[in-house]
Amino acid sequence: MTEIRKKGVSRRTVLASGLAGAGLLAMPAILRAQERSLKVGVYGGYFKDSFDKNIFPEFTKASGIAVESVAEPTGEAWLVQLEQAARAGQAPADLSMMSQVAMLKGQATDLWAPLDLSKMPNSANLLDRFVSKYPDGRVAGIGAVAWYITLVTNTQVYPEAPESWAALWDPANKDRLGLLALVSNSFLLEVTAKTFMGGTDALDTEEGQLKAFEKLAEVKPNVRLWYRDEAQFEQALKSGEIPMGQYYHDVTGLAAADGHPVRSTFPKEGGILDSGSWALSRASQKAEEAHVFIDYMSQPAIQALMSRKVGTAPTVKRELLDLTDEEFAAVASDIEPIIPRYDLYQTKSDWLNQKWTEMIAG
Amino acid sequence: MSGLSLENVTKTFGDFRAVDDVTLHIPNGAFVCMLGPSGCGKTTLLRMIAGLEEPTAGAIMIDGKDITPVPTHKRNFGMVFQSLALFPHLTVGENIAYPLRIRGVAQDEQRKRVEDLLALVQLPGYAGRPVSKLSGGQRQRVAIARALALSPRLFLLDEPLSALDAKLREAMQVELRQLQQKLGVTTIVVTHDQREAMTMADLVVVMGNGRIRQAAPPIEIYRRPADAFVADFIGSTNLLPVETDGGGRAVVLGHVVPGLALPAGVTKGLVSIRPEDVQLSQVADSGLPGRVTFVRDLGGTIETFVDVGGGTTLVAVTTPRQRGDIAAGAEVSVILPAESCVVVQE
Amino acid sequence: MRREPPRRIADYAPLAFPAAMLVLFFVIPFSTMIAVSFFRRQQGGFYTPDFVLDNYGRFLSAFFGGVLGFSLMLAIMVAVICVAIAFPFTYLLTKSSRRVQIVWLVCLLSILSLSEVIIGFAWSTLFSRTAGITNLLVAVGLMAEPQALLPGFGAVLTAMTYQAMPYTILVLYPALVRLDPTLLEAARTLGASPLRGFFDIIVPALRNTIMATLIMVFVFALGSYLLPQILGRPQHWTLSVHITDQAIYQSNMPFAAAMAVFLVLISLALVGLTLLVGSRREVT
Repeated sequence: MTEIRKKGVSRRTVLASGLAGAGLLAMPAILRAQERSLKVGVYGGYFKDSFDKNIFPEFTKASGIAVESVAEPTGEAWLVQLEQAARAGQAPADLSMMSQVAMLKGQATDLWAPLDLSKMPNSANLLDRFVSKYPDGRVAGIGAVAWYITLVTNTQVYPEAPESWAALWDPANKDRLGLLALVSNSFLLEVTAKTFMGGTDALDTEEGQLKAFEKLAEVKPNVRLWYRDEAQFEQALKSGEIPMGQYYHDVTGLAAADGHPVRSTFPKEGGILDSGSWALSRASQKAEEAHVFIDYMSQPAIQALMSRKVGTAPTVKRELLDLTDEEFAAVASDIEPIIPRYDLYQTKSDWLNQKWTEMIAG
Repeated sequence: MSGLSLENVTKTFGDFRAVDDVTLHIPNGAFVCMLGPSGCGKTTLLRMIAGLEEPTAGAIMIDGKDITPVPTHKRNFGMVFQSLALFPHLTVGENIAYPLRIRGVAQDEQRKRVEDLLALVQLPGYAGRPVSKLSGGQRQRVAIARALALSPRLFLLDEPLSALDAKLREAMQVELRQLQQKLGVTTIVVTHDQREAMTMADLVVVMGNGRIRQAAPPIEIYRRPADAFVADFIGSTNLLPVETDGGGRAVVLGHVVPGLALPAGVTKGLVSIRPEDVQLSQVADSGLPGRVTFVRDLGGTIETFVDVGGGTTLVAVTTPRQRGDIAAGAEVSVILPAESCVVVQE
Repeated sequence: MRREPPRRIADYAPLAFPAAMLVLFFVIPFSTMIAVSFFRRQQGGFYTPDFVLDNYGRFLSAFFGGVLGFSLMLAIMVAVICVAIAFPFTYLLTKSSRRVQIVWLVCLLSILSLSEVIIGFAWSTLFSRTAGITNLLVAVGLMAEPQALLPGFGAVLTAMTYQAMPYTILVLYPALVRLDPTLLEAARTLGASPLRGFFDIIVPALRNTIMATLIMVFVFALGSYLLPQILGRPQHWTLSVHITDQAIYQSNMPFAAAMAVFLVLISLALVGLTLLVGSRREVT
């Protein structure tokens, strides 16, 4: 009935009208002139439009490799398709942008062809956390895009920016919060662990997870809206109807730039850093081109371009970037981020989901 | 004044005057038939009496008391609708008991009254049946019983027999009349069937174009129609133009009708004569000369069509016994007995 | 012309198209759903063909029992409120002039063109503190300061009633138009006030229509999954919301299918029960 609710990336559609604009009708995706080519899967919608417009043509110009972009469906469907195709020796896309949970699931079946860092000199620029590795040390994927979820507030209701995620628990904020509705996209267990339990390692055991749920349950009276649809919360945040919550850092910044009374704050515990990685299907015949592409994408200049044009947080070290402080702050922060425990969502997703649902709806 | 009185009752729908300035008195215990072609306003008039329509002007009185503002449910008039309006979800007994239930009559008494009413309409033992399982005549009787349950002040029936087949209808007409005489309730029936009206009514009210054309006992309506509309609507009639000659005698188609005179001050009009009153003679005498154009022999009666000139054709009805052997093409003389002629206006 | 009973296989050909459509759009999807509900869930988005009862087992808990109970209660309330409002409204509508009827019916049809999303957002604005109807009450002086009327049960119920109302009216309309107008007039001549006649005669005479409408609105409301999310708190999320969660967000098709099958069975049971009670009363 509606398309407004998808996985985390759909938030990008919110931006589509503002940023991509003409990009919706951009470049034909298939360039035939060159001999060498590469099929790249990108989240459909805003990301694909932006990449088609700002990134792929530049790459083709620089490398001579034509890019055929493929719109990935949301959810696990793309992973399933890649998996089944790989069994038949086919690759619907050579490289794909994959969520971190999907990366782990692919690793479990050796779906991802190991990448050779030595063929990608620019990989040295990357922050460690953006290099996904198999348990045995082989490289499974390289960070493609990243974004922050932070503590957002309405500036009229909160003249002072909150400093800590602990503000969510403050009884003064009764019935004022908007939080994401799913355990696997709100990452509030990690926030709880980092804020009150000394770090996300506290979630290693089931006992720790239950304790985090218990602590998190105390937030419930403060929550006005558990949202799936981002537009609903964004609207309520702007109007002050729901003056505090968690939301995307870059989108909030754009809303503030448009004059809305909103702000995004990196709490002292850090913003939540979610990301997608480039991964190469083991059935792909284009390993060579894929390495060239990832290497190209890992250049500081390209990461800076993406931060400016697409609004993503850079995957390379800050000192290598030519971003001004202002440009950097628009997409990221130097504060150590909260990295979601993707491993939990791979191994215990049903259990966590059940506990979560019972907690918020019970 | 006891009985029902309508005083200058008028009902308009937009520009259309459905009922136009009707004044009428109906004495208690009378059986009245409102007769007229469809659209003449008779049903609207009945609905105003029932309180289902509000008069645009005028007053409706019962025994000298103005009841125009009294809502339907406080008038206590029993009514039988053309559709019968039996409540489909109730049984025969429940239908009849419904008005009693509203009045809060005790259960035992309700049951007894229902039994009595069913006996009255000759449906004893039908109380438990669903109304959907009844025949047309039985439904008719249930509707009548229900309308009579509260011993109403007035008994109103809107085309009550129109859904029945001809045979049943005739039987019900007689039955209804007998029932009314037994109960003595003032009854008003709306019908477009003159035979029905003639059979049942003490008083026939003929309506046309929203107005009362004539209100009189049936035989008088038939014998002495007030105007050409009534004469034409009630039974069949021959209407011939009539005028006076210089000597005050009535002249029809150039021939003086002996013994017939126009009312004082009237110089022209129509003469109405029933087909059964027209006499034909094969002997040339003082009558209107004419030529037989067609003979319809129905066995019991014979209709003879006579062209009397001036584009006018007369119909004469006789029994075979009364009539000699007149065939189509025969020259005849038409005699209009003055005592059977009624002079009417358009 | 007399209709010949079909003799050869070809004589059944006219039935082939509807039968094929029924199979294609109902039998196959529904069978697939039943089959999937017995498949084995692989943690993390896959499932393998199998025959396990785990999916149903997981559903049989106090938590989902509560969710199911709430969903049924909500759908029943929506159905009852819709019919309670729509029935007298539609009755009066059929009594009004042709012109008035057409204007109303066109308006109602245009509400049908609104998607659940638009209805949800419209009501969330109307119920909001910053731009909602309470501001009007404040302006008139009936309230001291504007209030948020959502999220809450009242907001969910209002929006779902609003959404189902046009369907209710359009389903009732033909039956009420066909209703013999002299039924109420007869009741009035028998001593019933118009109001009493309406409840004594009109309502029971259309009992079957009312029943059918209640069932239709109930089923319609049972499938609503967007309005409870937009306007309600998590405890107001219906089973449909949880099914969507499992199917789309958790990629847990077997569990979603099991819940859906359960919901269909419960609805069918309720509808069957209603019809059974209805026909009993008919007989006596």
